[in-house]
Amino acid sequence: MTRLRSTRAALGVVCALGLAVLYLPLLLSVLYSFNQGIDGRQTARLTGWSLRAYADAWQDDSLRSAALTGLQVALVVAAVSGLLGSAWGYAMVRHASARVRRALAGLGYLLVIMPEVVLAVSLLQFAGRLGVPLGFLTLAAAHTPMTMVVVALIVRARVLTLDRRLEDAGRDLGASELRILGDIVVPALLPAVLTGTVLAFTFSFDDVVISAFLTTPSVSTLPVYLYSSLNYGTAPAVYAATTAVLALTIVVLGIAGLLHRATTVT
Amino acid sequence: MPHLLAAAPGLWLTAVFVAPLLLTVALSFAHPGFGDVTFGFTLDNYRTALGGLYAQTFVQTVVLAVGCGALSVLLAMPIAYFIARHAGRFAGALLAAILLPYFSSFLIRVLSWQVILASGGPVDSVLHALGLLHAPLDLIGTRAAVVIGIVYGYLPIAVLPQYVVFSRIPRSTTDAAADLGAGAWRRFTSVVLPLARPGVATAALLTAVPMLGELVVPQLLGGGRGLLLGQLLQTQYVQSQNYALGSAIAVLILVAVGVLVALLLRLTRGFDEAPR
Repeated sequence: MTRLRSTRAALGVVCALGLAVLYLPLLLSVLYSFNQGIDGRQTARLTGWSLRAYADAWQDDSLRSAALTGLQVALVVAAVSGLLGSAWGYAMVRHASARVRRALAGLGYLLVIMPEVVLAVSLLQFAGRLGVPLGFLTLAAAHTPMTMVVVALIVRARVLTLDRRLEDAGRDLGASELRILGDIVVPALLPAVLTGTVLAFTFSFDDVVISAFLTTPSVSTLPVYLYSSLNYGTAPAVYAATTAVLALTIVVLGIAGLLHRATTVT
Repeated sequence: MPHLLAAAPGLWLTAVFVAPLLLTVALSFAHPGFGDVTFGFTLDNYRTALGGLYAQTFVQTVVLAVGCGALSVLLAMPIAYFIARHAGRFAGALLAAILLPYFSSFLIRVLSWQVILASGGPVDSVLHALGLLHAPLDLIGTRAAVVIGIVYGYLPIAVLPQYVVFSRIPRSTTDAAADLGAGAWRRFTSVVLPLARPGVATAALLTAVPMLGELVVPQLLGGGRGLLLGQLLQTQYVQSQNYALGSAIAVLILVAVGVLVALLLRLTRGFDEAPR
């Protein structure tokens, strides 16, 4: 029994260490966003406290417009992937034809294992060959495959636990397919759909790789702007901006958590 | 209505995923030209992509992805095991705490390592204070920094699937092994681990596969020098504009992904079959 307890304690220590390692860098980047730096450059040594980085970030017009564009793209991406991803996740389990179900699931698995950079160059070439000019809509469209699969897999997991007899009962009682969807399926899936949609939003807003290939000088997103500005040395403003994003992400995920809880209890 | 639910995502994915991917495959067999390509069928691109410097990059990338993937899975294993079997009512909260960093910006998480590993940063200062180090330590631009950054980035997603399988192993199974005299280590290696195989394989899949195309970490922590396939691909598209060669490299990344997935699926094969 004492051996069991010591194994357990050792595992607990490893888990605590893991959490510490995961969170320390995040806390440090928050800390460094208040670092004064030297000559407007970020330094590894803390040189004094200042809020200047936040003022700099706020006054940087291209940073602000990139953040705004990224926000708009993420909203469009979240809406599209919420709708299409949910339909996808539902059809993966419930479509009448086994071949269609297999094809839809196969597409999902393919997307899960697809390295982002491969998808990014493919989309860039595709848009180029079709003669579609890169812009807001192409960027949003390019984000959707990766975010749709997130929604689809979360919704699929929920559909698998959904009692099929509920839908059959509705059908026996003469409800139309639309009515069954609206009154039975959608309410049951809503928590999963909302969780997936929020994740789609954060994935789109934080995406670096696909955005790096599909943004243009006039339509850029915050991560891409920060990523490319890193080539000229790290300004403290970068840390201020990422800290603000971190705060926003935590708020959004917190809301998602509350929504999830509120909708699953009822 | 049921058809619309399958057709809408299906058609959209065809347009923004399947068709672009097929185009890349077609381009990989095309004749390269100056900033453009002429379609056709040649294996020249693959010959170039598998020769000399490119081959070296290819091997380096696969070794790095497999090594870092294995490291992430091994480091995540005790964490997942503790949460699944010993954390009790805190399991949900702990799991959420592990996953939260994964859903925050990848850029922030990589960026913070830039100051941590730089000379004069926390790691350097602590090692100096302990008297373990006398020369300034600057890990930025080294392979070690890339490994640290990658493993750190993917650790949370390696915990999740392993947590799921560990939590599904009934306690009675391990209790039975204990009654039969198996010690803790023996119980883990002969009972828990074999049952957890699918989760371990999934964790390896979710980490090693995206690592094959990793672009951000080597750029920010590796000084952009230690070339990996992802960077090579970016160079072909953005600077050299040799789209045919770039497409061949992209297809080769996919082939490496396919081989890795096939190997991992073999690991879990026979798992769903009924015991004879």
